[in-house]
Amino acid sequence: MSVASPIAVSMPRLSDSMEEGTIVRWLKPAGDSVAAGEPIVEIETDKATMEYEAEAAGVLEIVAEEGTTVALGEPIARIVPVGASETPPPPEPRPSSAPPARPRATPIARRLAAEHGIDLAAVSGSGRRGHIVKADVEALAPNGSEATPPSPTPTPTPPPTPTRARRHELTRIQQRIASRMAESRATVPDFEVEVEIDMDDCMGLREELAAHADPAPSINDMVVKACALALTRHPRANGSYRDGGFELHDEVNVGFAVAAPDALLVPVIRDANRKSVAEIARESRALALRAREGKIAPPELSGATFTVSNLGMYGITRFTAVINPPQAAILAVGAVRAKPVVCDGALAIGRTMSATLASDHRILYGADAAAFLGEVRDRLESPIGLLV
Amino acid sequence: MSVAELEFRDAVRDALDEELARDESVVFFGEDVGKPGGVFAVTGGLQERHGDRRVFDTPISELAIAGAAFGAAITGLRPVIEIMFGDFLFLAMDSLANQAAKYWFISEEQASVPLVVRSAVGAGGRFGAIHSQTPVPWFQGIPGLKIVAPSTPRDAKALLKGAIRDDNPVLFLEHKRLYSVKGEPGSSDEVAPLGRAAIVRPGSDLTLVTAMKGVHDALAAAEELATEGIDVEVIDLRTLRPLDRDTVLESVRRTNRLLVVEEGPRTGGWAGGILADVAEDGLEYLDDVWRLTTADAPIPYSPPLEDAFLPSAERIVTSVRKHLNSTPVNSTA
Repeated sequence: MSVASPIAVSMPRLSDSMEEGTIVRWLKPAGDSVAAGEPIVEIETDKATMEYEAEAAGVLEIVAEEGTTVALGEPIARIVPVGASETPPPPEPRPSSAPPARPRATPIARRLAAEHGIDLAAVSGSGRRGHIVKADVEALAPNGSEATPPSPTPTPTPPPTPTRARRHELTRIQQRIASRMAESRATVPDFEVEVEIDMDDCMGLREELAAHADPAPSINDMVVKACALALTRHPRANGSYRDGGFELHDEVNVGFAVAAPDALLVPVIRDANRKSVAEIARESRALALRAREGKIAPPELSGATFTVSNLGMYGITRFTAVINPPQAAILAVGAVRAKPVVCDGALAIGRTMSATLASDHRILYGADAAAFLGEVRDRLESPIGLLV
Repeated sequence: MSVAELEFRDAVRDALDEELARDESVVFFGEDVGKPGGVFAVTGGLQERHGDRRVFDTPISELAIAGAAFGAAITGLRPVIEIMFGDFLFLAMDSLANQAAKYWFISEEQASVPLVVRSAVGAGGRFGAIHSQTPVPWFQGIPGLKIVAPSTPRDAKALLKGAIRDDNPVLFLEHKRLYSVKGEPGSSDEVAPLGRAAIVRPGSDLTLVTAMKGVHDALAAAEELATEGIDVEVIDLRTLRPLDRDTVLESVRRTNRLLVVEEGPRTGGWAGGILADVAEDGLEYLDDVWRLTTADAPIPYSPPLEDAFLPSAERIVTSVRKHLNSTPVNSTA
């Protein structure tokens, strides 16, 4: 039989930050023939869900079942090339190529193991049919386990779970958000500076641009552009504090936060300093749509050197945002509001917007942050400069 | 010196007697309930005390009994009827399921149906396949109908009073094997609310949920299992519709294991419904859930077969041992 040796398909690196991926769905059943370049599997990374293509033609053998999470580089499938022989290769009986079985464990044992970070594969089950039960996990838990007193009085355990609470496991993206945000708060010495920006001219310009650009640039597109221009003149705001040094980036890539179903995604406008406001508007519309539909590709979510977060559309007047490490800063933008302002010594009705910059004090100090934010304000208050 | 114990059948009779005395609109009728005093000797003396216009015998027609009761209930009386065997409830189905249970709703909650149907259910008495059933699931799926299923004399009396005072139809099930059970009487004016289960034995290793005779089997099994270090919590449901899911769920959150014992066929039974409720709302608390029911077969007539067919304390003990990987403590023998 002229069957060549199988080609291993391992968990690919689909985003620069991924360490593992989850098999969402096999697009081809085991035993089917696949062509090189044909999508065979959907993989969820910490950033997005993507299709992955077969690198060679042959018969697909699945190693990692749907729902399993596999570390980068670990095998997820094999492709058995079919030789020139007229006899088709006998399909492997599927059970023999089955992945290592999921440990048999009861729901509460699984929950407690997850809470204590215990790998169920290392636990031996004492329950019926060898199931790992609560007692088996508790025996390995560092300090006992969830209190189940025989008395009806509840023990005051630290996180008092409301009796009607339901637990939802995090998606990969939510896990990533949780760890990045906690990392930021725990490790970044951040501080905030805030300005009130007169948006009268910006609003006027936007109305004029609406007649010339489709889609009409939004206030956020102008903020992105103003930041990008200011970042070129404040390299540390466009840098990263990393391993005891400053990394100052050549590219100015501005991310903007998009609320997607059950996730927060930050699509990136690359080289935003070199794109026109109209280009930024087109690109941000398309990226935001793909993000909300869950179709955005990891490269479109990576490489940001600075982030803008805008909650103005919710009528939020001002807020502070959490820095996305290793970026140096994040700008939190509120709504444009009509309010009384002092203009040439007289009271007038102005349209203003609050902008709050959170900075990593290891790289961007108070005066630097103030100077950068001041330039952003100046550029938005004289917006004609955004067009040239 | 202990208070005189109360027999289950006397508890039922006392509840009827006291409600007939308390409220003139209460009437009671059925086959052989008046002059003969009932085939299970439950209702003796009631006709003498309350007269044959309020306590009387009927022809052998369950549909006529139930139809008359429905009519009486919507025209001002509070009838209690007896369907001699639960197996014959099927003959009264239209009056109960289509008329009595729906009336409150289709009258836009303007007309209630204060009707109680007493019926003897349960196997173990060598009555055979059509005098031994406990047809709870037939009625449990009928919105508007409550189902009460007591396990002790005290509960039987307090719950029957609660049922008679309820303004809409209640099916009150009396397990034949419990009629001669004696227990503490409780206070004479006790009226129990419907829809509440009771934890009759606290425990930490397993929640055992059941009703009627099953409660006695469960308590006996719990005693036996305690000698092996298995601490069983026993819940007496007391009402099978509405079901007190909260009490069950709260218990399972503590014990992480649930066994439901139902005297009835596995398919379509209420035990399965409770397992489903707990799986839906408490999956993350579960180490094990299972049920002990009868096989999907008619109840055998042969005494040894009938005994083997029914859930019993012994079968509960064996089943719990199997699920908890426990072995019996060796006796000295």
